[in-house]
Amino acid sequence: MAMDQDLELMLRVRKGDSESFEVLLCRHRAPLVSFFIRMVRDQALAEDLAQEVFLRVYQARHRYQPEARFTTWLYRIATNLALNAIRDRKGSPAGLHFENREGESEAAKVADSQQAADQQMMQRERERLIRHAVESLPDKQCAAVILHKYQGVDYRQIARVLGVSESAVKSLLFRAYESLRARLEPLLKEGRL
Amino acid sequence: MMDQEKCWIREQLFAYASHLLEPREADSVRLHVEQCDECLRIVAEFQRLDTVLDEWKAVAPSGAFGARVRAAVASRQSHTTFFGLRWTQVLAPVCLLVLMVTTSVIFLRVRKAHKLNNGSTQTTQIQNASAGQAEEELTLYQNLPVLEDEDYDMLADFDVLSELPRGDNKVAN
Repeated sequence: MAMDQDLELMLRVRKGDSESFEVLLCRHRAPLVSFFIRMVRDQALAEDLAQEVFLRVYQARHRYQPEARFTTWLYRIATNLALNAIRDRKGSPAGLHFENREGESEAAKVADSQQAADQQMMQRERERLIRHAVESLPDKQCAAVILHKYQGVDYRQIARVLGVSESAVKSLLFRAYESLRARLEPLLKEGRL
Repeated sequence: MMDQEKCWIREQLFAYASHLLEPREADSVRLHVEQCDECLRIVAEFQRLDTVLDEWKAVAPSGAFGARVRAAVASRQSHTTFFGLRWTQVLAPVCLLVLMVTTSVIFLRVRKAHKLNNGSTQTTQIQNASAGQAEEELTLYQNLPVLEDEDYDMLADFDVLSELPRGDNKVAN
């Protein structure tokens, strides 16, 4: 079972087994970077934050207590870092640069896609709409949806990650998916743009 | 359908559509959905939403990511010593303790030296004062005026003074 493997690996890391840390890194780097990219929308920043998570895990290895799932602990660190990064970006002029950079990269993508098939272009446009719909959710709802939908984290774990009750998570997710249903209505009704 | 019931059911519809409910809860929602066209439509939309959200694909980390993390961990490891603490974390309190002890020792030594210095200065002052007083007294005695004849005559009435030598027998000083 994945949960037991992670715990076992982390307990070995606590005893000083660096190979077990390497295994944990290989198992979780892709989902973690993907989580951060969806949260902060910048690959370089996402990788910096994911690296910080692994460093914190490594530094805290001696204090690690297997009270909850390893992924709960991992995503708790990750979500806090992501929400802080989003808050910092909102409050600083760097946020504008970020949006501009994203715009530039989107423009480049569109330019590329002009040479590609219509299907591919349409797919990108759909993805952009979905991304914007999720991004426009309030921060906690956005984090809850990404954890639930894309990281496969269950209600109980999300509650621990966000530091709220399970019923609060259900309510948070309900409101988030209701908003997404409304925002993505054209995609839901037409099936295709 | 009562509003309260509608609200309760609506909150369950996404979980029902995503098969996240417990069997008993799922049964009660199913009973309602089968009789309610609006909720049936919403469930269908949630199911499509789940599929549509899957179109936002994950982005893989760059090839260098693993190496970056390994390098960062190795860098921390080289600065790490007992029980995950960095050298700086261990050395800082030790250095502080050494500094405090050294400062205390220096302070105590300086204070002691100052005390000794003060004591000897006072003794010297007393010695100097005594020597000065003795010298002054000696000068005073040496400069005492010798009685002249008329002074002697005037003072001769005093029995004790009459025994003093006359002017021609001055004390040679």
